[in-house]
Order: sequence, then C-alpha cells, then structure tokens
Amino acid sequence: MIDYTADRRRIVRDRDIAKTRLTIGRAADNDLHLSDLAIEPQHARIEQTGASRIEVAATGTLGFALDGKSTDSASIDCRSGAELQFGGNRIAVSLDADGAVLLTVERIQSEAQSVDEERGFSLARVMPSRRLTAWLSAILILGLFLALPIISHVTRGPDPKVHVIGDASWTPGKLSLAHHALEQRCEACHVRPFESVRDSACLACHTDVHDHAPMARQAGARGDPPLFELFLQRVGRQFGKPGPGACVACHAEHQGAGRMEPAQQQFCAACHATLSERLTDTKLGNAGDFGTLHPQFKVQIVVDPTSRAMGRVSLDGHPRENGGLFFPHKLHLDPLGGAAKMASTVGAERGYGNRLLCKDCHHPTEDGVRFLPVRMERDCEVCHSLVYDRVGPTFRTLKHGNVAQMIADLSVAKPSWPVTAARPRPGAYPARGDYYANFTPPGGGVLQKAFTRDGVCGECHTPVYSGGRISVMPVTQSARHMMKGWFDHQDHRQAKCTTCHAAEGSSSASDLLLPGIAQCRTCHMGEGSGAKVPSGCVMCHSYHPAATAPRKVKPDRS
Amino acid sequence: MASAGQTGSRAQRRTVTDHEGFLRHARFRWLKLALAVSLISLVGYVAADGKVRPYGGSWYGYTLGTIGALLIVWLALLGIRKRAMTRGRWSLKAWTSAHVYLGLALIVIATLHTGFQFGWNIHTLAYALMMLVILSGIFGAVAYASLPAALSNNREQMTLGEMVGGIQAIDRQLLDAAQPLTQDYALLVLAATVQSPFDPGLVSRLSGRFPHCATQRAIEFLNLADITNPAVGRVETLLLRRKAQLDRLQRQMRLKALLEVWLYLHIPATIGLIAALIAHIVSVFYYW
Repeated sequence: MIDYTADRRRIVRDRDIAKTRLTIGRAADNDLHLSDLAIEPQHARIEQTGASRIEVAATGTLGFALDGKSTDSASIDCRSGAELQFGGNRIAVSLDADGAVLLTVERIQSEAQSVDEERGFSLARVMPSRRLTAWLSAILILGLFLALPIISHVTRGPDPKVHVIGDASWTPGKLSLAHHALEQRCEACHVRPFESVRDSACLACHTDVHDHAPMARQAGARGDPPLFELFLQRVGRQFGKPGPGACVACHAEHQGAGRMEPAQQQFCAACHATLSERLTDTKLGNAGDFGTLHPQFKVQIVVDPTSRAMGRVSLDGHPRENGGLFFPHKLHLDPLGGAAKMASTVGAERGYGNRLLCKDCHHPTEDGVRFLPVRMERDCEVCHSLVYDRVGPTFRTLKHGNVAQMIADLSVAKPSWPVTAARPRPGAYPARGDYYANFTPPGGGVLQKAFTRDGVCGECHTPVYSGGRISVMPVTQSARHMMKGWFDHQDHRQAKCTTCHAAEGSSSASDLLLPGIAQCRTCHMGEGSGAKVPSGCVMCHSYHPAATAPRKVKPDRS
Repeated sequence: MASAGQTGSRAQRRTVTDHEGFLRHARFRWLKLALAVSLISLVGYVAADGKVRPYGGSWYGYTLGTIGALLIVWLALLGIRKRAMTRGRWSLKAWTSAHVYLGLALIVIATLHTGFQFGWNIHTLAYALMMLVILSGIFGAVAYASLPAALSNNREQMTLGEMVGGIQAIDRQLLDAAQPLTQDYALLVLAATVQSPFDPGLVSRLSGRFPHCATQRAIEFLNLADITNPAVGRVETLLLRRKAQLDRLQRQMRLKALLEVWLYLHIPATIGLIAALIAHIVSVFYYW
C-alpha cells in the first residue's frame, strides 16, 4: 500500500495476504479496507482463478474502472498487468518477482484542491480578465467606428454611387428635410477629410442663391468682432474653418429632421443695428429689432404717371401717388351714399350687398398674398356703364381701354340720347341729378364732352394730348409696395381691411392708403418681445435676395 | 523650541489625514471645486449664445468638449497613479478624492457638451460609456466607503487562509466520521467535502445565494436518516459546523464580490470610453 505524507513523501507498506479471495470495501471487515467514501462498504471481490489470473467482480452497485473503462466484472492476466480504479484509489495489478499476484494500492492525489485563498475569494476567479475585456472593447470600437469608415472613405473609387461604409455611426443628428436625400451620402458635403464644409459644396446644388450684398460691403458692415469672437475666428482659421460669411456660419445642419431653422434676429442685428457706423454711405437705416429699432417703411410708388416711373419713398414724408386715375374711396364706401344705393339696386346679380365693400372691387391673388389690379370690365362697369346706343332689343357698348376704337364707334353712331333710363348716381352731373352716360354736350363735340371732368372718360381718367391725338394718362396700379419686405394679406385675414387701410376717409386716389410701421407694431414687436406676435427679421426679410417669400413664411417642403 | 513645535504640528496634521477617508479629504476640497466647476459650466451654458440651438460644435461646445476630454484622460490616469502610494499634498488619497469628485463633475460638463442631442452614433456611444464608467464609479465609491468595515467584522480576526483551513479540518473529520455510513449518505458527505467553496459564479457571489450547496444538501438528507445511529449524529454535527464556517466564507466572498464587481465595468468601460472618445473626436474633424 502506498501512501503520501503531508510533504508528499512516499510511504510504501507491504502486506501479504494468504488468500485467493479478497474483498474490497470501506467497511473495516474487508480484506482490503479503503477508507474512501466513494467506495461502498462492500464494493468488490477479487478472486485468483489461475496462477496468474484473477477475476474481479463488483458486489455493490458502483462498479469500478479497468484501465480507465467502467465495468462491474473483469478477468485479468496478471502477467500482462492492468490498472483498476475504485473510487479515489488505484490498484495496479502485476506479478512480483516470486510470481505471486501483486496488488499495488495507491490513493489518487486530489487535484490541486488547495486554491490560492486570496484568488478564491476574489471575483477574478469567475470573471473574464478586465484587461482582456478592456482591450477587446477598445479594438472593437476603434475598428468599427473609426478604422472602417476611414478605410472605406480613403479607398473608395470615383464612382459617386459608391458610398462610404460605416460612416452612418458618425452622423451627430438627422439632416433637415430639404437635405434628407443626402442622409447616406456624407461625402457629398464633407468632401475632403479634416476640411470643414465649404461653400462650394452648397453651391454645387444651390446654383441660384444670391449673395446678401457684395462681399466687400459685407466685410465692411461686419467690422471687427468682439475680442473673444475674433480669437475664435483666428483659431478657426488656423484649422481651415471658413469665416463668418460662409453658408455654414448660418445654416447649421444635423439639427434633426425638420425644417432648417431660419436665422435669429441677432444674426441680422449684429451688422444692421449699427450699420451706419461702419458703412457711412449706406442708404439703409439701422435696424436691430422690429419693435424698437427699425426705420419707417420705404414704399415703391409711381413717381411719374406719364412714364410710369417708380421710386421708393419713406412713409414718413406722407407721400402721395398719382396712378393716373380719379377715385374717391370715401364716396364708394359710404354706407348711406349714392354708391351704396346703386349697389343695392343694380348689384344683386354681382353679389353686392346693400352697400359696397372692399371685396366687391378688390380680388385677392390665387395665393392670397396680394390683390389683383382692379379691372374696369369686372369691377366698375356694372355701375359705370359704357352703353351709348340701343339697336332693337340690345345695346352697343364702348370698348374700354381703346381710345381709337372709342372714337371710331362714336363717330358712326346715331345715338338717340339718352340711351338708358336715368338712374341715380352719386354726384349731381346733369340737370336732374340722374346719371347716364353723358355723351352729348350742349353745343360741343361728342369726344370733347366725353373727356371733360364730368364726361364718361374724364370722370375717372386724365385726358392727355400727344401729337394732336387725345388719349388718357396710363393707369398704374401697384400690386406690391414693400419691395424689400414681405407682407402676406392671407396671414392677416382676421383683420378688417380698414384697420390698416384708411380707405373710408379718403376722397382722393392719390391718398396712399398704406399703414406705417406704428400700425404694424400694435401686434408685431421684436423677436424677444412679449408682443402678440414676436417677430424676427426673417418674418418679412430674406437674407438672400429673392422674389419669393422669406424662409419663415414659406410653406413646409416635405 | 521652534523646531519642536513644527514637528508637533506636522505630526498632528499627519494623524488627521490618516484618519480621513478619501471622500472627506481636506474638508471636501475637491467636492467644492467640482461643484464650482459644474456651476460655472451651467451658467456658461445658459449665457452662451447658441446660434441655432446648443450643440457640441459651437464654441462653447468645443470648450466643454476639450475640458471633458482632458478630464477623462486625467481621470483614467488614476489607474497608473495608484500604483505608487505616496503621502503629502499630492498624495494618492488627494488624487483619489479629486478623481471621485471631478469624475462626478464630468456628468455636468459632458451632458452640457452634448447639448442634449442624442442618437444611435459613436458620439452618444462615448457618452453612454462615460456614464457607465461614472455610475459604476459611484457604486465603487459607496462600496469602498461602506463595505470594508463589514468585511473585517465578518472575518473576526481570522485570515482568509484560516477560513479555508477551518473547513478543511472539518472535512478531514467528516471523511473519517462518515466511514460507517451507507453508500447513499457517504456519497452525500463526499460531495459536500469535495465541492470547492470558490466554484460559485458571479450571480451567486453577488446575491449570496448558493442553491447548489452540497453541504446544505447533505444536511437535509441526513435529517431523514436513522438518528439513533451515533455515526449519523456525529456526521450531522460536523456538517452543521461545516455549514456555519462555509456561511462565513460565503459572506466574505459576497462582500468581496460587491467590493470588486464595479471594477469589472469601470475599467473595461474606461478603456472602451477612451477608444470611443478617440473615434468621436477624429470622426468629428474627419467630417468637419
């Protein structure tokens, strides 16, 4: 029997057993008593059946191993030897020098049971190494989110359809709706590595964007920024960041799917609030806040009715406009006047009520932003009839807008005056105060009478003579007066026309019925104000000059 | 006289610092500094004129980002700094105190740097890893402040070796005492003695529940055995003693696990964070 001391010295004890039959087990009455709990009290029996042959049979239920294989009976030739295993004991079978069967029992050393105590208590025994996970995560992150996109970007071909792989993980936020199509094509704007987005990338698509003003003027207007801003600009320039005039200086992208936010008031105010200090020759008034610092409106009006020349003048000078027409708004809008009476008698088929309203003559454009020019045939002729003759059941009417045609028509007419029944009309022209087209003068030519202040043409138009021919002053109706600002009537439809346009008190067409800035300020004040409608610059103005509405009032593109 | 006085005050100061934990170090000097830094960042954030809306690419965003990145690198350097334990003004304790409080201030700095813009991208990954590091760090600081006392109470003057040794001594007696038992019970006792107390995994160690405890199983089954057999009684007594010893060892293991587990997040997440931070910074300027 072989045993080991604590310091692993081998102790060999020999024992002769003069029996041909041995019992093996944990119980003390066995021939081979092995105090191993893995061994049954009566575990097995070994019987010598020949000179060098033994039979081994399990007597319990657990069996044993023969040369590593589990079994419950075995026949062994001791000359060739074998190894048996019972629980934690090994028995080598052989013959000794005398030819007797030799069973060498050896306790199997328990496999390094003594764990290093410190390590056993520590989590290090059951967790993967921190160093390993750290390196793995670092390599994974750098590989997927840095190396992959860069390699893909550097090695991609010139084909614009081939996109960079993996750069989706770089996008800091969704692009605005207008740029949605570029979502997967970072390289469309980020053209070169480590170079910030250049204007050229924007202008590749936005070919029709105009500069706010000539670059030199803009630079002059900007002046020197505050010291800290200047420092930041210098630093930015060192890294190749474009300066304050660049597209991206205002148009920030990756701010989430939605409309690109319009610029804030302070952008404009930075230059325009004190513009006159830097651009001493500027014609623009300083403007920093609609409520507190904004010049009076300059409106575009007719300055010469004959040549129809237009000019911009400030409303502060109470300008008057000669559009070539006589027209008293007061007369037409008076609810108790003749025009109201006439509207109620003749206008039923045109939808007039018992008085004339603005909408009866002024029709909005399709988009509702402005109004169509007033047209004689549609808007005036119901009352201001041009009928000059009756032939049987029908009437002959002068064609409006063509003087030569009118002369021709009247010269061949044999009118029986008056052709129409008299009807009341404002102004007491003929004898009884009744109105009808008065073509015949009491002793004067037909045409001359028509062009007098009381005549059918002259009551609205100014006659002009050129080259011996009679004609009328051209009529100019401005559809838009604020050429640099945007005003949308549709957005103000809840207000009455007369709230802003003082038409009810105007007796002359040359009265400019445009409200001044004070009128607007009853609702609109600057962006940060507590007014009913806080209004930034972009509500009315475009940074890039264009004929369309500014960004703020443009409908969503989606 | 003068020199004696000096020595005395120095000795006194040393005593004070020696009994002060890293959280209370120098009368919360670093806590105050961290609060001040957070407050200044916050005020700056409100005051800075974000042109469109706040984001990392504004000048204030770059400023906070630079401070945050430098802070992260410095905080990570504790891993190297801790290997040299020194005293004095720049002691390891001062460094650790600063590490904890400035690490907390990083929550404010980095969150403001994001401008509250989050998404499925490398930038938010870096932020998430940073928050993981900080939160695990908070767990660690709380654990370091509260668990060591419990750990030493549980040991009751024993060394870890003695704890294991005690169980091994009982095991030897058990193996001897169980010899007369029938095979079923003998195998139960054997299983109890061969089961290493250190086998249970992370969940068992953290929860303190060991559902596969062979000693417990042996005790339960031996309760059903013939109690008139004196051998059974002896084995049972030994098993109960083994269980008591094992309980103490398992409590020790649990406390140790709670004390260590955060590091398994804190350290790898820190390295992951530094990698994500590099990717974040490079990518931002690559596609500038």
